[in-house]
Amino acid sequence: MKKKVSYGLLFIGIIILIISVWSLLKPSDTVDFSADIKPILNKNCITCHGGVKKSGGFSLLFEEEAFADTESGGPAIIPGNAAKSPFIQRLKEDDPELRMPYKKSKLSKEDIELLTKWVDQGAKWGKHWAYTLPEKVEVPKAAQSAGISSGDAQGFIKNDIDHFILRTLENNGLEPSPPAEQNVLARRLSLDITGLPPDDSLFNDFTTGKITYENMVDELLSRDAYGEKWASWWLDHARYADTKGYEKDMGRTMWRYRDWVIKALNNDMPFDRFTIEQLAGDLLPDPSVDQLIATAFHRNTMNNDEGGTEDEEFRVASVIDRVNTTFEVWQSTTIGCVQCHSHTYDPFKNREYYNLMAFFNNTRDEDTSEDEPNLRFYSGEQQEEVDRIYQWIAKNENWEVAKAYYNFLQYSEPIYHAHLAKDYTNGNLADTKWLALRDNGSCYLPDVHTQGADHIYLKYSSSIDGTKVTIRKDNAQGEILSQFTTNRTKGREIQKFPFKRTDDKINLYIEADNDRISPKSATSYISWFAFLPEIKAGDNSGYSQIDDSFMKLLNSNTPTLPIIIENPDYQKRATQVFERGNWLMKTDTVEPATPQSLNAWNDAWPKNRLGLSKWLVSKENPLTARTLVNRVWQQIYGRGIVASLEDMGSQSDPPSHPELLDWLALRFMNEHNWSVKALVKDIVMSGTYRQSSKNNARLYNLDPENRLYARGPRIRLGAEQIRDQALAVSGLLSTKMYGPSVMPPQPEGIWQTVYNGGNWVESQGEDRYRKAVYTYLKRTSPYPSFLTFDAGSREVSTVRRTVTNTPLQALVTLNDPVYLETAYHLAKFMAQGSNVDNSIRHGYRKAVLADISDEKLNVLKELYNTSLSDFREKPKNIKEFIPFETGTDANLAALTVVANAIMNLDEFLTKS
Amino acid sequence: MNSLDRLIKEKLQREIQARTRRHFIKDCVAGMGGLAMGSFFMSCNSFLGNNEKGKIALTERDVNPLASMAPPFPAKVKSVIYLHMAGAPSQLEMFDYKPALQKLDGQVTPQSMLEGKKFAFIRGTPKLLGPQAEFKQHGESGNWVSNFLPHFSKVVDEVAFLKAVNTDQFNHGPAQLFMHTGSPRLGRPSIGSWVTYGLGSENQNLPGFVVLTSGGKTPDAGKSVWGSGFLPSVYQGVQCRSKGDPVLYIDDPKGIARNLKKSTIDAINNINKKEFDEYSDPEILARINQYEMAYRMQTAVPEVMNINNEPEHIKEMYGVRPGKESFANNCLLARKLVEDGVRFVQLFDWGWDSHGTGHDTAIDLGLRNKCTEIDRPMSALLLDLKQRGLLDETLVVWGGEFGRTPMQENREGQEMAYKGRDHHGDAFTMWMAGGGIKKGASWGITDEIGFSALEGQVSVHDVHATMMHLLGFDHEQFTFDFQGRPFRLTDVEGHVIHEILA
Repeated sequence: MKKKVSYGLLFIGIIILIISVWSLLKPSDTVDFSADIKPILNKNCITCHGGVKKSGGFSLLFEEEAFADTESGGPAIIPGNAAKSPFIQRLKEDDPELRMPYKKSKLSKEDIELLTKWVDQGAKWGKHWAYTLPEKVEVPKAAQSAGISSGDAQGFIKNDIDHFILRTLENNGLEPSPPAEQNVLARRLSLDITGLPPDDSLFNDFTTGKITYENMVDELLSRDAYGEKWASWWLDHARYADTKGYEKDMGRTMWRYRDWVIKALNNDMPFDRFTIEQLAGDLLPDPSVDQLIATAFHRNTMNNDEGGTEDEEFRVASVIDRVNTTFEVWQSTTIGCVQCHSHTYDPFKNREYYNLMAFFNNTRDEDTSEDEPNLRFYSGEQQEEVDRIYQWIAKNENWEVAKAYYNFLQYSEPIYHAHLAKDYTNGNLADTKWLALRDNGSCYLPDVHTQGADHIYLKYSSSIDGTKVTIRKDNAQGEILSQFTTNRTKGREIQKFPFKRTDDKINLYIEADNDRISPKSATSYISWFAFLPEIKAGDNSGYSQIDDSFMKLLNSNTPTLPIIIENPDYQKRATQVFERGNWLMKTDTVEPATPQSLNAWNDAWPKNRLGLSKWLVSKENPLTARTLVNRVWQQIYGRGIVASLEDMGSQSDPPSHPELLDWLALRFMNEHNWSVKALVKDIVMSGTYRQSSKNNARLYNLDPENRLYARGPRIRLGAEQIRDQALAVSGLLSTKMYGPSVMPPQPEGIWQTVYNGGNWVESQGEDRYRKAVYTYLKRTSPYPSFLTFDAGSREVSTVRRTVTNTPLQALVTLNDPVYLETAYHLAKFMAQGSNVDNSIRHGYRKAVLADISDEKLNVLKELYNTSLSDFREKPKNIKEFIPFETGTDANLAALTVVANAIMNLDEFLTKS
Repeated sequence: MNSLDRLIKEKLQREIQARTRRHFIKDCVAGMGGLAMGSFFMSCNSFLGNNEKGKIALTERDVNPLASMAPPFPAKVKSVIYLHMAGAPSQLEMFDYKPALQKLDGQVTPQSMLEGKKFAFIRGTPKLLGPQAEFKQHGESGNWVSNFLPHFSKVVDEVAFLKAVNTDQFNHGPAQLFMHTGSPRLGRPSIGSWVTYGLGSENQNLPGFVVLTSGGKTPDAGKSVWGSGFLPSVYQGVQCRSKGDPVLYIDDPKGIARNLKKSTIDAINNINKKEFDEYSDPEILARINQYEMAYRMQTAVPEVMNINNEPEHIKEMYGVRPGKESFANNCLLARKLVEDGVRFVQLFDWGWDSHGTGHDTAIDLGLRNKCTEIDRPMSALLLDLKQRGLLDETLVVWGGEFGRTPMQENREGQEMAYKGRDHHGDAFTMWMAGGGIKKGASWGITDEIGFSALEGQVSVHDVHATMMHLLGFDHEQFTFDFQGRPFRLTDVEGHVIHEILA
């Protein structure tokens, strides 16, 4: 008995020993900086000891700062010795004047213990997960190992994604939902890939088993509507709009960029290429027209034409927007904070913001009202002429000179804008746009490199003949470089005048004299000056014809698109750090560089936007692929694996499935070679995607946002899809692609901008029924029903639309004439039914792709009967209700009411 | 912590956040109107009955994002009427009396004043321009008001002036954005959105945040001045118009009688309820609720927007012009809206940019007309609110996006035919009235020509902090997480202006 007891004690003792040894050795006992410590620091310490403030000379933002000496002499953290570390001592102080966090309640015992342990364990600094490269992830085979490999779970798994999802479900004691019904799945898939419900033949082929699910996926991915649907998503990122924004919000022809996006998506341009062309297409060797069009991505920044605004201020604002947008779009990083101070929570230093800005600060655009530089689009005949000029100069002069002339015809750069002129006498920058000198007027155009040109080019307008213009070197006494007469012009003209060759950087002193005009009149309004290399072969026969043709083309009216063009070396701007983010307070000059905490720079890359874009799509960049897969995932599930789509920094929502995120990111880069279509296909082929979206109380209460994916996605359709779907089911939708934006009907009096920048001219014919992506978007006054359904005004980049549910949305789909017209056309289709029941059945099926239940049928039939007797009683209401058609009867009007109700059902407005 | 624990912890946090507004599904009908809800009751109950695992836990805001909420601190006011004079009215002809400027009229501005200053249109060396109005002290407070505002002179004891408001923006668009969103760049929510997000609406038949414009134009900065920025768009301002539908698509299509619309919505909600039975997605409940509200709004909005039924003496008092778009109509509407429980009413009146480029923008002509247009209505608004006992629970704010220069504008360096003043943000006047405001107060003093603040300078952020304070918020605590950090209306600045608080 005694022996037994002692054995028993020994046994217990051994168990205790094992447990304590195990608990010492088990990996979870090592405190992890990113998971355990950083959240405590961010929450309690960083406001005073971080990017903005460094109270007591102590900061916890960067490793080197945390271990540096503070104002009290020594370091606050002594690795390995918590007891001696002021960082820990101060947490435990009883005196509130000494205790940290200062004037706040004491940290919890658990937090203090964790911090103590961390310091004792050596205070190892760590990188936030998003700043380390995704590591190769093994696909978990949870279903086999966990004993619940029931038939259901086996049936659930369709590809590797499902293993990740299933493991988390199992860990939470959950099971996947059964697959959605075929008809529900077909609609979901088609809406997700093409933004439209499936057409009858595809729907039937799939639901009757004629084609497989994968066949349907492939078919939908190959349709043009795929590019149109996903373009809306990308255009939110690109802040694409048809106007310039700000006060005047004038029109701007940007649609060729929108078409470029649609085509690139449909051609499945690899995302790395897609990135490089948009950020740096102009810097690629001999860029194609398409590559130049792609650069309009960053010309979607706003342009301020308000009177009295300074172009330079808004040029800088555009550059800042480009830095912020690039980092938000590709890096899930809100770099904007770093403009004024080092990032509060993430490892980006104030100075690094300006290093990034230096990449973007050398483009030709300068917030001018003409939006230069503009890419010009010539007719076929004109283009032949352009090519002929190019060939002639190349042959008679050289390729380099030919290229300069070719580029000048293509986008008229480099130029010197009027707003650069200063020190006016009898003159001014008229309307903040044009250099305007009165009689005996003068001004300076500083720092001009004429590159030895023998002509000066001027774009100007004048209503006055006989102004003598004299251009001197540097000042009023300087050498005359050019002297010529300007006369009345037809609108704005580009003319050239002989100019004395000089290679120096000079100030142009410009004088104008015309004593026949009143002293208050301007002699002319000059937009810009330009210099092109001399054509020494100018004496050759044939040159004068080339020259005529060149000037004629320059002065021809062509469609245009604002693009990005890099400054030539002699026009390069230095980038300076702005003190506290104020653009007028410039301090140190900085060079282009990427943040230290991210991937290293490869010296083979040029230090410009091209290099930067290569850095972004380098496989060493930890954020680009993760960002893209997270956002595509969100488009499909309504929620990202990292829910805060715009931010993956240390303040972001932790990923719900970190390994899946990395697995998708690596697969996207390495196996799919950046193919977005392949990524979409992976996601929609999964069993996770194919689940039923039916909810229940237990599931909802446990996981209201469906972050564990125990059910399929169920989300209200986006603004574009709500319109397009209504047009599609009513048979009105136009499939016409591309071209200028259209203006479908909208209520009167919506456009009321301060200075009339245009009118809403209602489109006619099929342009009334184009897909939403082609609708004209005026930033200060977007298409009202899209705004109501949460589409933005595209003034700044939007990576996530919030989905709301408001009464104004109900008013749109109930009362907007567009939706009444679609209801009427659906009703016409319904009227083909042999009786009312069949009509309603057909209409419901057409709209939501499901058979109507008797209960629902009865509800709609009652509505039909009420409407019918109402219209029979008051037949004049029929004509009022359906004004766009003659010969409508009470039956059709009543069916229209029913169709309108169907098109307002939750199941119609929602992807189930 | 495994993810189940985390979920449970988060759920608990959500519940705590929801405080007393937590409702179980059986209560969901309480937030909904009485339309065709008989069967819905059954649905709620049967849902509960059929599901032994429990009930769906929802906050009232899950089904109604505009549900009214109490502020964290005791509030002085329940609603706000903000009168914005877009274009920037001249404080020097209205409230900031500068006799010394009169003496300096026509003199060249000293260089020392111009150094380091940027102007939108003034170039070279402008001349000073004396006040173009006559000033007198009024009321017991003895505050100065010009003869451009004879009616307002009589209610001057109701308001508190801020005479030295400062903004660093001197172009309309950015300055209006700054004034209404706390940032001169786009993307931030407007004050009205913040307030509606924080407090919801008292009236579930009307939008919580209503915008009324007059002067024929929308503000220079566009609709972003009442946008919701990163807040959900349900909190953005709803523009109610004088012409066409008062709210877009609020009118039933022609030929559709009210009862038919009711039948339609009944049918939609009835089917949606069946959909909810099948999917248990609370968004469906929210949609049912929104369709109910839409139906009620269709009656309530045209009703509240109709001023014809107001008694003659009230119409007379405001000087309304029924059927036209006018500031007077909008002031009367503002009263009706706050009376009905609308949280934030934003008025924009266009035409205050008195550059002197023509008759309408001349300081002595056009500006005087603009003053006449607003004088009676805004005074009537204060009196009307007062006589209804509403002034104590409403905050009325008046101002532009900046002020104007004591110098006469010399556009493009030339003398101009009319007298005008350029944009000027260093010191300008705003006023507030209503609950918690010290009546008859005046805070801030400008120099003898009204160019710079001498004392009591306040920033746009300070104005916002004060408004939030009166509504029961600590502007430093009232935040919304976006892009990985908490954002607030006042960014990292702002102090409550206690000098004008009662």
